[in-house]
Amino acid sequence: MSNEETQPLLACRNVFKYFGGLAAVNDFDLDVFPGDVIGIGGPNGAGKTTFLDVISGISPATSGDIALNGTPIATKKPDAICHLGISRTFQLNAGFESMSIEENTLVGAAFGLGDKGWFPRMTYNREMRERVERALVLCNLQDKADMVVRDLPVLDRKLLMLAGALATEPKLLLIDEPVGGLNPHEVDDVMEIVQGLIKEGVTIILIEHVMRFLLQLSKRVVILHHGEKIYEGDSEGLLNDRKVVEVYLGEGTADRLQHMMKNRAQNG
Amino acid sequence: MALFWKHRDFVIFAILLGVALAFPFMGIPRFILAAVLIMYCYATVVSQWNLVFGLAGIFSLAQVAIFAFGAYSTALLGRYLEMNLWYSFPIAGLGGILFSFLIGLACLRLRGIYVALLTLAVSQMMFVLIQTDAACSALNKAINPMSCVSFTGGSQGLGDFGSFGWRAVLGGRNWMTGDYYTMLGLLVIGLIVTYLITQSRMGLAFRALRDNEELARSRGISQYKYQLLVFGASAFLTAAAGGFYAAHFGAVGINLFGFPLLLFLISMLVVGGIGRLWGPLLGAALLMSADEVFKEFSDWRNVGLGIVVLLFMIFLPDGLAGGIDKLHKLAVRVFTRARTA
Repeated sequence: MSNEETQPLLACRNVFKYFGGLAAVNDFDLDVFPGDVIGIGGPNGAGKTTFLDVISGISPATSGDIALNGTPIATKKPDAICHLGISRTFQLNAGFESMSIEENTLVGAAFGLGDKGWFPRMTYNREMRERVERALVLCNLQDKADMVVRDLPVLDRKLLMLAGALATEPKLLLIDEPVGGLNPHEVDDVMEIVQGLIKEGVTIILIEHVMRFLLQLSKRVVILHHGEKIYEGDSEGLLNDRKVVEVYLGEGTADRLQHMMKNRAQNG
Repeated sequence: MALFWKHRDFVIFAILLGVALAFPFMGIPRFILAAVLIMYCYATVVSQWNLVFGLAGIFSLAQVAIFAFGAYSTALLGRYLEMNLWYSFPIAGLGGILFSFLIGLACLRLRGIYVALLTLAVSQMMFVLIQTDAACSALNKAINPMSCVSFTGGSQGLGDFGSFGWRAVLGGRNWMTGDYYTMLGLLVIGLIVTYLITQSRMGLAFRALRDNEELARSRGISQYKYQLLVFGASAFLTAAAGGFYAAHFGAVGINLFGFPLLLFLISMLVVGGIGRLWGPLLGAALLMSADEVFKEFSDWRNVGLGIVVLLFMIFLPDGLAGGIDKLHKLAVRVFTRARTA
């Protein structure tokens, strides 16, 4: 992937995020190329979600440079960053509670690609409706378009966040714990949908604690610990990395995951 | 029935408009006509407040200050520039937009209850500023050399700034009919504007920010832009209604900035149903009627209103409009069960 000729889609250099004296993100570097799928793992409190908050502008970096296609975005507001092409989901099941699935997705489709000028526009155009349609189909929600968010089960809420993000047609999609709190069967459902997105060529950074999900989807894995990157590379190397096994996985899990990867390699 | 429910807003609108247009010709006593047109005036203010409070979910109490701003602007323009009130009350509306923008800007970084505190402080500050304005104004000396009236009229209030002029057109007996239709026009525009905004792309942004601000911003909605837009959009008709109020009574007073009026109008919002299209009209109608009843018990008037609001908050937190929706849902359920059984 890291072809010297191509410019990275997202380039992070020396990114720090301090909360008081605590460095939640500590001197972080990352290059993301078009088509990449980067999985970020690490213990609780390692700074994974904070890193996504920093990229998406929810909680701006204390210092460091972040560029999307060469445009600096480190100090931009969340709505401006979304217009430039980064969209995200949240760890908690964020949604517009009083609205239907369709309206929720419409928010991304109507405002996500840009919302210039002060004159308030009243109607939606056909492209917006089509973006909603596409996003709902990608996330398998097309039959539930009229359901109101506050009545939805957890799986649908997770998928709805994905659909809302996709409706903005992002160049880079940030996914925060898409399968947290789901049962194994539901995890497989979400995995299938994310695989579909990868096939579509969407560039993704994803955070997940469920390691089988993270390892099977990611083309490159980054492990954070106390805000620092302690590993970056492929999943094979990850399971043999002493430090990662020590601070995060533990011997048992590492063995189990190695078996899983081996089986998967033999079968597929 | 289901078809009616789907288009109920248009049907209700058409029926109400018909009744309201015919109202002055039904042989209604004048004092009732006067009460109804004030009800329209309050309903207009509350319908615009509903955009900020119900649709955008911003706990602003500034609406009454904007209303009073419109009333005072109209009065001052009429008195000192001798401006025709037909010109000054839309100008008051535009001034109200600017005034509201400023309040919206000041509230940008505040949330929830703190917005309520700041906006309440603004109206109380204006109350005190006008109340303590006691110096005789040279402008008023020019109008009447014998009098000592301050620029804003201070605690006495301000009069002598003209009227819509219906008396000259319709005569001394029927001038109020002219005021009635003027106010009805404002209310109709107010209801149409709220409906259009609620259905529009702008309304979607307001609701998104209300439901989940962080998510809305991550989906490309600028909180800054839309908060200012809702403050601006809701201010014009509010201030214009204030201008109408001044023109109708021919006088303005600091009670417009006072707490009782604020309480009365916010009660209409709660009783009618926050965030509902018909809430403001229902609330204004119910509370104006209740107020007529409680007037007999002078001192107990506010207590009576307080009890009404309390009962609504406990038993019908979504207001009358929400209650009707609930009844409809219940009726549909009973009906379908009866049919399947």
